[in-house]
Amino acid sequence: MAGRLIPWSLMGPALAIVVVVFGLPTLQMARMSFNLHSSQGLYTPGFTFDNYVTLFTNPVFTGAMRTTVQLALLASLATVAIGYCFAVLVWLKPARWRLLFIALALCPLLISEISIIFGWWMFLPKNGLLSHVLLSAGLITDKISLMYTEFAAFIGLVYITLPYAFFIMLSVLDGIDKGVLEASADLGGSPLVTWKEVLLPLTSGGLQVAFSQSFIWTMGTYATPSALGPDTLWTLGFLVQEQMLGKHNWPLASALAMILVIGVAAVVVFTGMIMSRRSRYHV
Amino acid sequence: MAVGAALEVENIRRCYGSVVAVDNVSLVVDRGEFVTLLGPSGSGKTTTLRLVGGFEKIQSGAIRINGERVDGQPPYRRDTATIFQSGALFPHKTVTENVSYGLQRRKAPPAEIRDRVKRILDIVHLDGMQDRYPNQLSGGQKQRVALARSLVVQPAVLLFDEPLSALDLSLRLKLRAEIKRLHEELGFSAIYVTHDQGEAMAMSSRVAVMNHGHVEQIDRPERIFNDPANEFVYNFIGESCCMAVTIAGGSISDGRDPLDMHLKTGLADGAWRLYVRPSRLKIDAEGCSDANRLKATIQFVEYLGDVFRYHLKAGALDIFADHPTRLDKERGDAVHLAWRDDDMKAFR
Repeated sequence: MAGRLIPWSLMGPALAIVVVVFGLPTLQMARMSFNLHSSQGLYTPGFTFDNYVTLFTNPVFTGAMRTTVQLALLASLATVAIGYCFAVLVWLKPARWRLLFIALALCPLLISEISIIFGWWMFLPKNGLLSHVLLSAGLITDKISLMYTEFAAFIGLVYITLPYAFFIMLSVLDGIDKGVLEASADLGGSPLVTWKEVLLPLTSGGLQVAFSQSFIWTMGTYATPSALGPDTLWTLGFLVQEQMLGKHNWPLASALAMILVIGVAAVVVFTGMIMSRRSRYHV
Repeated sequence: MAVGAALEVENIRRCYGSVVAVDNVSLVVDRGEFVTLLGPSGSGKTTTLRLVGGFEKIQSGAIRINGERVDGQPPYRRDTATIFQSGALFPHKTVTENVSYGLQRRKAPPAEIRDRVKRILDIVHLDGMQDRYPNQLSGGQKQRVALARSLVVQPAVLLFDEPLSALDLSLRLKLRAEIKRLHEELGFSAIYVTHDQGEAMAMSSRVAVMNHGHVEQIDRPERIFNDPANEFVYNFIGESCCMAVTIAGGSISDGRDPLDMHLKTGLADGAWRLYVRPSRLKIDAEGCSDANRLKATIQFVEYLGDVFRYHLKAGALDIFADHPTRLDKERGDAVHLAWRDDDMKAFR
């Protein structure tokens, strides 16, 4: 009996924090999403499915869902691809380069998201650094602006999530004996075959973790896409903020947030399921 | 039948910055021969093996497998298979999948792969383990899988990179005998890298003793042991005591004080290092006919199981000699050492 209590009591403090700080607010938010909209206050207590009906019928919201998922998916795929290549490179290179690359990857984490956005504002506009560099390199003939485009939002998201993907992949790679690559080559596996047969299966778990991490982040964040993207780029994060602070419609904002939470949770559970099937050799 | 030896290594060289790791090494492995590269760490033996396997590039020289130049080719085009020190098994593949890997890369038909994998697993005593993953195997079993994985592709040369050094002693001896048995049974050609002279002596057709990136001597194990080419080989193979003496006009000293030493064959004047194996030094040999003698005093005795090892002092010389029984002598007592001319090597 006592033996069964020990793990629970050891987990207790952490569990309490999760329940109090994440669980209760989420429950409260769920309850809020069924309240009625009020033109005077922030909400009227009650119970209705109207908010959810609005979300799934109003083209503004369905469009935002599609935009958000699309943007998050593209940004996460790009993040994972770049982070993977970068991490493999650092893993394969001699140790003396390692610290430099790790320091480089850490940089974006030391700067707040808002400062990074200001950085992009210097970099992307018509009179920005990028335009100047491209012009003086002779690659373009006229000044260009990438500011307030979907591409800018995409780049901004990749930049923010890249360090996480990189460090996740590097920690997974560090657990692999590099000898297996040589063993594969030694037995006749070309580099491509070695990647497909050995490195990819050994890193697939890490790829999925890195992907879900990026996906969660890019789905939820609103500052970067709304500051860098066009005015018409309405993501779920942006709409939650707008409904909450602009339109004072807390029930609808909560319903939107619930969709976001459920969608992200579904992705996490799904990737977790694939992972546990793939990593059975870690018995 | 292909022409030429299984492997010919000709004057290969590899530097890292200013460090010469492998310095003009030449080596021939005939078909069915088991050649060991023996040397201290940093002697270039592993680098030599990796150059043959293609994991490192040679800077000059040539490597031929079955008479064909391979030094420009990547590892996956060379007909070699390496047994790594760590085993380097694929952790996400079962024993069967690990062992099949090389045959699949060679596009062997599935039925043939199944047969050959089953046969090799029988040979290395791993039947019943087919569906296990590497982390479900013991250290010895892992190395058997690594062995099977390389053996099954029947390469022109097998490359062993200290495969037993991570195992404990009893397992090491067992697997050593097993590799020897497999070699007798299957007749593969191999290079075996080790720093363990026991391993080298026990397993090899020939031993190449390496030091500072070059081969000091390459010969049959008994020749290496009994007729070492130079002081390094003599020192590295087997145990020996070194007596550093100075000879001047027929008298022998430890450099400062004269020694009570007599040598049968006179040596030229100068500083010499005389080596005798502890097993060949006779203690308490007063009436002995052996021509070389030295008077020394007992320091302490070690019991080694088979023999008693007497640590002795003569002037500034520290000597140790093995004796089958305990002597009726104590610390500080004088003994007479004697040895035959054939058992001594003198270097200056």
